[in-house]
Amino acid sequence: MQQLFFLLMIIFSILAVQTNILRRAIIYLGVFSLISSFTYLLYNAPDVAIAEAIIGSTLSTILFLVALKKYKIFRIYLTKTKGHHLSPNNNDLVNALKKFVMKEELELDVIYTSHNLEEVLKLDDFDIIVEEKNDQLYIFGDGTNYHYENLQKYLQEDFTGPVVYNCLILETGDDE
Amino acid sequence: MNNCDPIVAKTLSVAYPFILLFGFYIILNGHITPGGGFQGGAVLAAIFIIRYLITPEKNIDLKRLQIIEKVLYLCIMLLPILLIFNQMLAFDWMKQFYLVSMNTLIGIKVCCGLTIIFYRFVLFESR
Repeated sequence: MQQLFFLLMIIFSILAVQTNILRRAIIYLGVFSLISSFTYLLYNAPDVAIAEAIIGSTLSTILFLVALKKYKIFRIYLTKTKGHHLSPNNNDLVNALKKFVMKEELELDVIYTSHNLEEVLKLDDFDIIVEEKNDQLYIFGDGTNYHYENLQKYLQEDFTGPVVYNCLILETGDDE
Repeated sequence: MNNCDPIVAKTLSVAYPFILLFGFYIILNGHITPGGGFQGGAVLAAIFIIRYLITPEKNIDLKRLQIIEKVLYLCIMLLPILLIFNQMLAFDWMKQFYLVSMNTLIGIKVCCGLTIIFYRFVLFESR
């Protein structure tokens, strides 16, 4: 019985290291700590086994998954005034952003809103905001986000739209 | 993670009181069965994580939880000083009372601490 659990622990730890998909690695780690909790139980240490099962396989798995979720999504707000259709330049920008997101292995989340810039700023879960004003595209992004610098470089190289675009770095405070 | 599925919400809200019961069982029987303050507190913190998953409103008073945690820490410091150093643990029931009360204090403190960690991580920490 113990040998079986030890073998499973070795297998799952190797799987967790070897897999390329991070989400799968997190699940393997959860299973690994569950099996190690069983082995603690076989060594007559139920106290440690409970702690390992709760912390190793539940809490840390949930925290890792939340961290992965936060890291993966790249959220873009496209603001437009009412009754004003999106210009073709805007679509070009969205296509360029799709290519950028594919390159960085993120998930793109585009949201079209009719809100003002200030109202979107209050929502506080954006990565960049694109605003169209007087045939110019304004891109607002958080200066502390490290994806934003890469995006700026990528757009200056690849996005050759006829419209001049301005990149503004917006420093958001650290207060809650 | 932002939308709450109705099936998940229903199922987890059924499991809610059982987790509460299990956590308090682990805490209160910490001195005779495996488990104790820390483990029971971690189980109780799972309630707040489930609350994050099933309710649409995410606002929680973290300031109040921090104050509770600090007060409990003070109590954990004060209780051994008052009981042990005054040599009041002469009777058997006093020892049991001391263990159970210390386990309860530690459990609720750990619950507050883990909840603060989780909610800060989920709601405020950005990239």
